[in-house]
Amino acid sequence: MDTKNTTEEWSWLSKLFHWLTALLIFIQIPLGFYAESLRLSPLKIDVFVWHKSLGMLVFLLVIVRLLWRIKSTIPIALANSRLQKILASAAHGILYGLMLALPLSGWVTSSASNFPVKLFWLIPLPSIVGPDDALKSIAAEVHEICVFVLIAILIVHIGAALRHQLMLGDNALKRMWF
Amino acid sequence: MRSSKKIFTPVVILALLGLAGLLISSQKIYADQWQSQSANSHLYFAPSWEGLPINGAFKQFAVTLSRDENDQPQSLSVSVQISSADMGTADFNEAIQMTEWFNGSTFAEAVFNSNTITSVESDDPRAQFIAQGILQLKGVERNIQVPFSWSEPADGNALMAGALSLGRNDFAIGTGEWAGGDQIGLAVKVWFDLVLESAND
Repeated sequence: MDTKNTTEEWSWLSKLFHWLTALLIFIQIPLGFYAESLRLSPLKIDVFVWHKSLGMLVFLLVIVRLLWRIKSTIPIALANSRLQKILASAAHGILYGLMLALPLSGWVTSSASNFPVKLFWLIPLPSIVGPDDALKSIAAEVHEICVFVLIAILIVHIGAALRHQLMLGDNALKRMWF
Repeated sequence: MRSSKKIFTPVVILALLGLAGLLISSQKIYADQWQSQSANSHLYFAPSWEGLPINGAFKQFAVTLSRDENDQPQSLSVSVQISSADMGTADFNEAIQMTEWFNGSTFAEAVFNSNTITSVESDDPRAQFIAQGILQLKGVERNIQVPFSWSEPADGNALMAGALSLGRNDFAIGTGEWAGGDQIGLAVKVWFDLVLESAND
């Protein structure tokens, strides 16, 4: 149970980071669309508290994960060609970028809307900007664009993993599992 | 006996009327009127969510205070344009004007008129005086107390400040699913910092 990656294997810690963020993102995307669709009500506030809480958890997790990644060995990519390798690392880079951009743009949207936030009804989240209509619209727009890009990249990411596992037979999916 | 009584009654009434007139006119003579300067005066309010304040302000309101011959505050009246409530964003401002909240299109103005103003001994510098009177808000009339301070710096204007807490359920603000107060708290903080100018003729 080594926490360190090797050139062949992801460590259990890296796998945990991956699947924990995956789980949170799969909850976050529908939760965000659901919250947005609700009319102003106590339920909407509650759903948004969950969305903001989980979102900040992803943010924290991704920061820790990136710091961990910088210090770690990265297993050799399973790509068959140079192009595939470039595409794969670009997709991973974009995924990391989105996992930072989404919570950040959400945080700005939330702060600019002037509604206070207490993560999980426990931890007050400070405002990073003051109430601001224009900034709120821009941040909300960025948040929305990011989520659609995320969905697109996730389809590619999952599709590629399945292709590697099922068609190329290189056990890519198994390599990320425990 | 009978005729003297007949004359006596109108005399008494006239005398009472005269006395009342004298009192009213004497009040007029001594009334020292002050009026809030809109550009330099602020009226804030803050409901809360999970104990965290959501800050708002009324942008249009007027405060008039009159003092007696001993320079003691005598009456206080406040009128607030409900549609001027500003909670920082357009979405918020639209939401708070809805029927379950302020319902500003029906109840455009809130009014406070004091019945009495008493000078109090208090450690709180913002509570030198307490104005007790009726607040009419969203069609509901309630007796409330407004503590305030009064000071006159050398520039000829007067400064008035105070803070109070109002129960939003008392005025049916936040009805239906919001009335419970477990989401948006029932106590709403209200505070003001005013600059008043003398409004004597």
